[in-house]
Amino acid sequence: MIRIGLRDARAHFGRFVMSIIAIALGVSFVVGSFCFREMMSSQVDQMMASNSDADVYVRGSTEDKSADDMMAMSSGSSSSGSSSSSSGSSSSSSSASSDASKTYNRIDAALADTIAKVDGVKTATITYSVSGIVLVGKDGNAVSTTGAPTVALGLAKGTWRSATLTEGRWAKAKNEVALHTFAAETAGLKVGDMTKLVYPDGAADVKVVGIFSTDSSQAGAIIVGLAPSAAKDYFQQQSGQINMVRNIGVYGSANGGEPLTDEQQRELADRINKALPADSKARAVTGRQVRDDSAAATKKALGFIQPLILIFAVIALFVGSFIIANTFSMIVRESMRGYALLRSVGASPAQVFSTVIVQAIVLGLVGSGFGIGLGWGMVRLIVSVLDHMGMPMSGAVDPSASDMLVGLIVGLVVTLLGAALPARRAAMAPPIQAMNETVNPEKPVWPRGVAGSLMIACGALSWLFCWRIALAKADDTVAISPWDWLNDWGASLSTGWPLGVGAGLVVLGVIVLAPALVEPTSVVLGWIPAHVFTVTGRLATRNLARGKHRTANTAAALFVGVAIVSCLGVVASSAKASVAGIVDSGLKSDFSAMSASDGRIPDDAIEAIKKTEGVGSVSQSRMLLGVTYGSGDDKTSAMTFAEQPSLFTEVFAPVTNSGDADRALRDGELVVGVTVAKDNGWQVGDTVTVNGRQIVVDKEATAKAQADYQAQVQSKIAALQTQAQTLLASGDTAGAQAKSAEAQKAAEDAKNVDPSTLVKTKTVETHVKAKVGAIIENSVYRSMVLMNDDLAGKIANEYTMFTIMLFINAADGTDTATLKTRLVDAVKSYYVVNVQDREEFKSTMSTMVDQILIILYALLALSIVIAVFGIVNTLALSVSERTREIGLLRAIGTSRMQVRGMLAIEAAMIAVLGTLLGVVVGTGAGAVIQQVYRSNGLERLSIPWTQLGLFLLASIAIGVVAALPPARRALKVPVLDAVATD
Amino acid sequence: MGRHSATTTTAAAAQARRATHRRGRTPAAGVNADRATGDEVVARAIDLTKTYGDKDAQVVALDHVNVEFMRGQMTAIMGPSGSGKSTLMHCMAGLDQPTSGKVVVEGLEVSSMNQRQLTKLRRDQIGFIFQSFNLVPTLTAEENILLPLQIAKRPIDRAWFDKVVDVVGLRSRLTHRPSQLSGGQQQRVACARAIMARPSVIFADEPTGNLDSHSSREVLGFLKDSVREYGQTIVMVTHDPRAASYADRVLVLADGRITQDLRHPTYDEILEVFAGEGDEVDGLPMSSRPGEASEEIPSKERA
Repeated sequence: MIRIGLRDARAHFGRFVMSIIAIALGVSFVVGSFCFREMMSSQVDQMMASNSDADVYVRGSTEDKSADDMMAMSSGSSSSGSSSSSSGSSSSSSSASSDASKTYNRIDAALADTIAKVDGVKTATITYSVSGIVLVGKDGNAVSTTGAPTVALGLAKGTWRSATLTEGRWAKAKNEVALHTFAAETAGLKVGDMTKLVYPDGAADVKVVGIFSTDSSQAGAIIVGLAPSAAKDYFQQQSGQINMVRNIGVYGSANGGEPLTDEQQRELADRINKALPADSKARAVTGRQVRDDSAAATKKALGFIQPLILIFAVIALFVGSFIIANTFSMIVRESMRGYALLRSVGASPAQVFSTVIVQAIVLGLVGSGFGIGLGWGMVRLIVSVLDHMGMPMSGAVDPSASDMLVGLIVGLVVTLLGAALPARRAAMAPPIQAMNETVNPEKPVWPRGVAGSLMIACGALSWLFCWRIALAKADDTVAISPWDWLNDWGASLSTGWPLGVGAGLVVLGVIVLAPALVEPTSVVLGWIPAHVFTVTGRLATRNLARGKHRTANTAAALFVGVAIVSCLGVVASSAKASVAGIVDSGLKSDFSAMSASDGRIPDDAIEAIKKTEGVGSVSQSRMLLGVTYGSGDDKTSAMTFAEQPSLFTEVFAPVTNSGDADRALRDGELVVGVTVAKDNGWQVGDTVTVNGRQIVVDKEATAKAQADYQAQVQSKIAALQTQAQTLLASGDTAGAQAKSAEAQKAAEDAKNVDPSTLVKTKTVETHVKAKVGAIIENSVYRSMVLMNDDLAGKIANEYTMFTIMLFINAADGTDTATLKTRLVDAVKSYYVVNVQDREEFKSTMSTMVDQILIILYALLALSIVIAVFGIVNTLALSVSERTREIGLLRAIGTSRMQVRGMLAIEAAMIAVLGTLLGVVVGTGAGAVIQQVYRSNGLERLSIPWTQLGLFLLASIAIGVVAALPPARRALKVPVLDAVATD
Repeated sequence: MGRHSATTTTAAAAQARRATHRRGRTPAAGVNADRATGDEVVARAIDLTKTYGDKDAQVVALDHVNVEFMRGQMTAIMGPSGSGKSTLMHCMAGLDQPTSGKVVVEGLEVSSMNQRQLTKLRRDQIGFIFQSFNLVPTLTAEENILLPLQIAKRPIDRAWFDKVVDVVGLRSRLTHRPSQLSGGQQQRVACARAIMARPSVIFADEPTGNLDSHSSREVLGFLKDSVREYGQTIVMVTHDPRAASYADRVLVLADGRITQDLRHPTYDEILEVFAGEGDEVDGLPMSSRPGEASEEIPSKERA
């Protein structure tokens, strides 16, 4: 039996081509996703090993529960690795990163001295990182690579073991930088070149003084080595805390500069822990542990990529299984007589079953084999593309044996699933019936019609339920349904579940229903071709209805992909329309300005904008760092902004939920976004405690520092004078004069010293009671708390808040286009400040949506390509079944063009049926999603009619193209052979 | 190695006469003309040779055959299996390319035609009736009958259609699909389809091969009537002497050559021919002997 199966497989190999392609494509995505994950993971490990390479880290001893995300984001971390590897996901994962990488309390920088004295410690250094740095390349443009950030670190000799200076020296002052080899290459800079570096407070001229390399590639991150002193200043500015750091890196001396073993790391950490003062709130942990933790956190943050790819691989394989099922059912149908013969000579149904299954196994193995190779190639291609885009990856990309095995199993299982039903049909063939060549009439389609309709109805109900839940969540007065039990249950559900269940039911329902739709559709859709191309059109339409299951399966394969694409299209278009709606209805200002790097707009840039001719008014949005609400353990954090009182009249029209937003802002009350208000249970009129931070001059410490300095200078002068006297006494007049001149110079220097270097600052916690004056619903403000500048001044000060956005209104009578040019010129020298007019403000969002959409579409293209192969497949098989019929048509005078036309119409109608179903279901799902997430910013429903129309047109084109190969094959058979075929 | 020339009429004469037999003629006129000139050539094979296989294992299917088919006649080609009768017909109909020699239908050289010309030839000059699978399963009987005209985008002569339908007796079956018709009915639809376009010549390949004797008689009777009443030209391959006995002329082939050319032979005469050749002839199936009806095969199978 197995031999018969293998022979059949060889005989049918030509027909398996499309199925093999389908399996190979699906499996390639599966294998590719695994390879990609491993590549990322090994890249992360490599980068951790070289970027967090200290033997021991000393960090805070308690986890920071009220971790302020924004601060973590804006100040980066002092460990160089974690920020440089969180490339693509940094914008979306502000909440994810806080639960992935734990933050600890900060520790006193002075501990470094204590640690350095511990036995076995070679160096204890603090590496300060500064975020928002932009390097300007040789061509005068900001250097950036796709996705990866620019990381600026204070580096000096011995602070980073894995970094090796290849040329020049480390930076020693604010106007010097050392560049990582990749950064230098990308920027086109070499040692000795002058360029600009944009610090958080503005651009400065810097000289490249050195180039260094690291052990692993940095995945496209631009690494800039700053002078440690400069880095420290900016780090403290950004963190709002003085002399407090996240961690201290310790290199051990045990191996003469080489990394310590795990055991040695543990010993050293233990020794350091003993040496740390009890009140230091610090703890030493091994470098190994830190690396593992942060690698795990990074991998977790990147973890969404693989499941995402896998989802699309599953869709593709699902679609592929339809092709396989079609192929096998046609092969089985043709081979019925053969099976009957086998049965009549004594083969059991199981044996007949196995002949079909053997073919499926062969097909699955071959398909998976190709797929594994294809997946491998794909990841290699991605890596080389990333390389070209400026993200060199040094991680391993080759699939492991287990990846290949998974690919193989997935391919086999899908093939077997696809072949199972046809194989069963073959096994069940009664010997006599099959022998006398009777083709079993197709099963009636009405049961599937009923079942499918029921499923769709259930899905629609689930959607309805979901919509009611969303409504009820947005507005407490709305009940989900008239029934209490349902209301209670619904209230406990998130909207995701019924939405997903509904979508699943509708999609499956349509697939089940599809065969019942073929007949009516072929009549309706066939109307045009049947009237335009009388004969060919009619033949084509009739052929569709001939194999309803086959036609339906083929169309369903396309339907799945198109449905998702349409759904995404509707959601994306609604998202864009919603943003555009906000801008149109809410935004009143002519321009907005944002920083392209870390969100902070340098003060000088603000001044430059204010001074620009034709600017009427400038409204500043300043974010307050680390603001919490409430007291004790109930503290919650929320993004808090200081605004000008004119915000609601000149910049954004408020959508008020309760209270009077404009009056509240003017009166120094809080204006709270509806989400924040709901989470905290605040009502208008409530009084809440706002906790903030201010950095102030520590008078005591400053006085002490100055006194210390004076004392130091005095003692130095005294020592020099003593020496001079000694020399004078010994008769060395010249030497004595030199010494006293030196003493005089020291006194002079002390007078000229910049007093600011001696100013010590401290952080002061503030607690201010404020009244909730209004609750607003604008989607941009939903999760924010707004207050006016006066109130903000009591909570924070200039060191703990910074400007992230400017809204600019043109003065009366100023042409906005001219003003735009002037504004762009004004901020040009700051490189990172981006001025946008209203249209651009809208399109930023659209561009972002479009970019995400392109990635998703590219992934979905796979399933659509497979579905197109499915059409080719179905048509090719149906053509081979109809060889005689086509021969007959040609014998009675049908031209080759007419045969091609007939097949093209057939294919086009299958494609249109699938696309139409997909567009309808996808649009429906998109509309439901929009309704459900209405309160989350998807305020407007926008259906991209043009796009959907294009899908339909494209599907016709796809059908016509898909018909070409089968038509060629049909026409290749000589008429005589075709007619004579048995 | 003697070559058989069944009839000798010059090509020029045929060319000249063909002009009077173009599509525009009325059935009645055609009848009279054909009756009057029973020996006008419609199709002719000149020195036709067809070989299969390469030099080592060459099979000669047709061996320098010269033959002419007369307008308004029903010609049966008989012969044992492998005698080349089907090959001759296929070459005549442009379904097969001869190895050498020429085929001329209505003065047009078929053997050198390209696909486009062949398609035109099939639309305008030739009708086909096959042994089985004559109909497009998705189309009704009426649609099948009208199919050649629609493919060729020719106007439909409703009066002619009604006449044809009545003659084949399918009036009540016009809306049925082939799967709902018996084998005989299917063949009659095929005949009606072939005659509907009024081609110069209908080639029928074992039209009764799959039919029981009753159905065979119906189909053959209809074909005979179309020759007699409408002057239709039919060339039919068969190995059933009963079927051949309906023909005006019977050609017998053996080993790629024409061995007999009988005019209006009776059934017994035909049997005698084969009986005379004795056991060498194996092409005469027992089932086609009188009184023995071949088994009816359910028509649905081929739907």
